[in-house]
Amino acid sequence: MAGRKNYYSLLGVPRNASTDQLRRAYRQAALRLHPDRNERPGDTEVFLEISQAYETLIDAEARHAYDEELAAEELEQADQSPFTARVLHSRKSLLRLPEPQVHYLLMDIQPKASVGHVRPPVNLSIVIDRSTSMRGQRLDHVRSATQEILKSLQEQDRASVTAFSDRAELIVSPDQASDLSVARARLSLLQADGGTEIFQGLQTGLEQLDLNFTKEGVNHLILLTDGRTYGDEAQCLDLASTVAERGISINGVGIGSDWSDRFLDDLAGRTGGHVLFLDSPRAVTQLLESILDSLSKVIASRLRLDGSLSQFVDLRSAYRLRPEPMVLSDTLPLKLGNLPANEILRLLLEVVIHPIGDQEMLTLAHFDVAGDLLAQGGETHVLPVLVEHTVSDQPDTQPPPQEIVEALSSIALYKMQDMARHEAELGHASHAAQRLENLATQLLANGQRDLAKAALNEAENLARARRFSTEGEKILKYGTRALLLPAHAESADVNDD
Amino acid sequence: MPNQLTSTMIECPNCKHQEFVGTLYCTECGSRLVHVSPMPTVTISQDRLEDEANTTKPSPPEPELASGAMIGLRVLSSGQILSLVGRENFTLGRAVEGQAVIPDVDLAMHEAYDMGVSRLHAEIRLLEKGIFLADLDSVNGSMVNGRKLEPQSPSPLRHGDILQLGRMRLQLITRRRG
Repeated sequence: MAGRKNYYSLLGVPRNASTDQLRRAYRQAALRLHPDRNERPGDTEVFLEISQAYETLIDAEARHAYDEELAAEELEQADQSPFTARVLHSRKSLLRLPEPQVHYLLMDIQPKASVGHVRPPVNLSIVIDRSTSMRGQRLDHVRSATQEILKSLQEQDRASVTAFSDRAELIVSPDQASDLSVARARLSLLQADGGTEIFQGLQTGLEQLDLNFTKEGVNHLILLTDGRTYGDEAQCLDLASTVAERGISINGVGIGSDWSDRFLDDLAGRTGGHVLFLDSPRAVTQLLESILDSLSKVIASRLRLDGSLSQFVDLRSAYRLRPEPMVLSDTLPLKLGNLPANEILRLLLEVVIHPIGDQEMLTLAHFDVAGDLLAQGGETHVLPVLVEHTVSDQPDTQPPPQEIVEALSSIALYKMQDMARHEAELGHASHAAQRLENLATQLLANGQRDLAKAALNEAENLARARRFSTEGEKILKYGTRALLLPAHAESADVNDD
Repeated sequence: MPNQLTSTMIECPNCKHQEFVGTLYCTECGSRLVHVSPMPTVTISQDRLEDEANTTKPSPPEPELASGAMIGLRVLSSGQILSLVGRENFTLGRAVEGQAVIPDVDLAMHEAYDMGVSRLHAEIRLLEKGIFLADLDSVNGSMVNGRKLEPQSPSPLRHGDILQLGRMRLQLITRRRG
């Protein structure tokens, strides 16, 4: 089933759709997507899939056979799936409108209580930028943090340390890492010199991961850098996409203010990982330890949200709120990274729903939550999630669920800094400054005094320098992103059924 | 499409930005929209074209110019047509909160911000000798059929010409009334 598109969601009709509804849905799809119109690349392919879906479902016999096959498959999958999912809607019902409308879905994914957790072996590759700018405090802290991490490893774990400048060098091999005195001696050789070519480091670090690749464990790379890489960004991103398919995840750690946050976000995002910002290297030990701690709780890797959206529905934006806040791409499959035991992975999806016909119930999506279960040697499990919602002629007057309101409130703050930065880049500095002042007001109202102050500082800076400071842009970006993590997420309200 | 329900957008009480029904936070200023009237404002319009042309100007539409010409701009990204009626000059730009001078044709709803359109970007002038486009010292400049315009220097336009404001592309449509 995974990989094959569900016919009902392709047509955007409920499972009990009448032939009339099918015909209408098909006609609407034809109006929007017919090859003669050829508006967007890919429309024709979608149209062909929809045609095939229509031809199967309109034929009573073929449909019956398809339904039975589908139901059996999904039942079996849901039953055997080690995951459960819950979907909350922003409104009790959708509004029948001749215009597009916005709708939000909050989705919680978690392991079933019956899935036991055994600490998985951790295969870790630490890749350290040793360019000239790392000299002094930064490299000292990173060196001692790395040493601490190697100390916290367990017998079944494997680790390596790679350093790079213009070229990469394996500082501590997996064999040396298991002998702490050797590892310490090797790390002391780590000296800062040269430029920053991330691809070199990434490649060597990934080779080491491959040597000890484990299907029963987590395979993870931590990239620590304080600078920009030039010219090899595309190579790095391609490499990240490739290794993500094998279940390798990447975390980016940006130190100071001169690294490229967009590049690192893209790189980590492609693997379902996330990016951490350190304005001072002092906290790096604690940070690496928290990464190792979360890796030791993983029960499934390569978690992703796949499946298909109805033809009436477009994904406008997607965020992971927990365990690690991250902005996700707006096309399926969404890369979600690792699923820890005793945790909830929470997503917020913003969708635009195109004009709805006369059906009472709209199928928004048939999602497939897929992940590779470590305890079963990385076997892929799929949980089908059907998202349907009632359609009404009357607007819903009830307030939206509190969890959704809180999430969107934080997302609005995050988006504001993003827009301000964009405006400043287009040369509208005064405009951007005004937006940051707005943001500061909202942050204050949310009790975020330090961030509000940072926003005001940056607004002043904009008025003077006409652009964002490299430090301010990161403080605001990662500061507002951290707010996406729901309050009290620490005391995980994991339900046990 | 006579008497079709249109314009069911909700308006942000803070910055007047228009949003789709169901939106909970204004995408422009971040204000919460939960308590905005749950019943969307529904207006009935006889002609969708006219209605869209007047989303920024509440004055009743004049269907055509005294000269008998009718002109419009097609937003290439969405295919929507904005008709230009009732004036001899139209400033094109992007209205934002607190702005003193509002453009006659507000492109804010067409992602003008992302496209790098300035608040007062360019002006279309209907003169005796034809239709002209002048760039109003915009940040990202204006082009006609791929040719960059000198600021403040009007350039003639013809039916079918592609205007580019920043990265936003519009096509001029003119129709002489027979």
